[in-house]
Amino acid sequence: MFVIVVYDVGEKRVVKALKRCRKYLNWVQNSVFEGEISEANLTKLKMELDKIIVPDEDSVIFYTLRSTRYSDRQIMGLRKGGQDLII
Amino acid sequence: MKKTLYIFSNGQLRRKDNTIFFMNEEGEQKYIPVEDTAELMVFGEVDINKRFLEFCSQQEIIVHYFNNYGYYSGTFYPREHYNSGYMILRQAEAYLNMESRVSLAQKFVTGAAQNIRQVLKYYQNRDKEVGRQLQEIEELSTKIKETCDISVLMGIEGNIREYYYKAFDVIHGQSEFVFEGRSKRPPQNAMNTLISFGNSIVYSTVLSEIYKTHLDPRIGYLHATNFRRFSLNLDIAEIFKPILVDRVIFTLIGKKMISKRDFKKDSGGLMLKENGRRVFVEELENRLKTTITHRGIGNPVSYRRLMRLELYKLEKHLMGESVYEPFVTQW
Repeated sequence: MFVIVVYDVGEKRVVKALKRCRKYLNWVQNSVFEGEISEANLTKLKMELDKIIVPDEDSVIFYTLRSTRYSDRQIMGLRKGGQDLII
Repeated sequence: MKKTLYIFSNGQLRRKDNTIFFMNEEGEQKYIPVEDTAELMVFGEVDINKRFLEFCSQQEIIVHYFNNYGYYSGTFYPREHYNSGYMILRQAEAYLNMESRVSLAQKFVTGAAQNIRQVLKYYQNRDKEVGRQLQEIEELSTKIKETCDISVLMGIEGNIREYYYKAFDVIHGQSEFVFEGRSKRPPQNAMNTLISFGNSIVYSTVLSEIYKTHLDPRIGYLHATNFRRFSLNLDIAEIFKPILVDRVIFTLIGKKMISKRDFKKDSGGLMLKENGRRVFVEELENRLKTTITHRGIGNPVSYRRLMRLELYKLEKHLMGESVYEPFVTQW
């Protein structure tokens, strides 16, 4: 499963959210992560994020795709992060 | 499927915020998701500390090291998490019993020979003149079943490879990559360098797959178990070398992705430069990810997974559930 996570959380919690996401996904831009993830790991990530965020103030959006076959990814301007397997 | 990470840059690997952190010499930082990593292949000059290795062990991440020349130098093989005394006994039993050891070794050689044949047939259908080599190999293949000595078996395997490699020049038809006989440690020409480099990656890939099963990589059947190395991965790799490494080499040469300029003379032999290694690894990784429809399963299966299935078949064989038959590619 492919997932894109976008979060908008309070300044105090943003680093925590960032660190949690790094464990599972690749950083693409500020507050945006993407990557291949298993169903179980997605649930784990959701639970971890759930503990961090304050429901009244923060918001996290998960876009899940079964595969990236029908998607197209284009970048304008800088390429900030990504998922290179060869570094 | 968890991913393989190839590190060519120099720098340091650390555990940071419960994930993998890599910083290169220029200070460029990168976080790698642990949960999506199965193995690391380290080619660059990388600093590692104990904390990081402990973390790898905990996360069951296997780390392969290659030296400056691209040779396999070793593996950080974390504490086994699939422990099975039963399986080790079975493996040892099959090894100690000469009859069963030879029959397994024969299977590996047969598998390798048949996959070699398939590769040659593929090119024969594309009007390459490899008929003679094909015939020689078929003849030698008939001898495999009659042998009951491991060293003779390895000899036959060597002869098959010899004829096979003779077909290489005909297949790619480029003077830059003439074969001129197999040479190792160090390889003397471009073709040999490519073969050696590809083989060492496949060996470690199979080793990583073995880690995910109950099998012990130290007990091999065709390759003798000795005091030093892992040998089961060498056995299984025999089957996959022709369809993975050699075909990748033909692709790289055919599409001119690699040229004479990607090699350098070093320590009495010829080595791949970093850029050449990257291109090779990228292509091999793509090949490993490629899926084919598996006849038994009926679903698409990647070559990497196919390696694991091969190990499962071996496990079943050792447990006496079904007789091991090597994977032979179709198409």
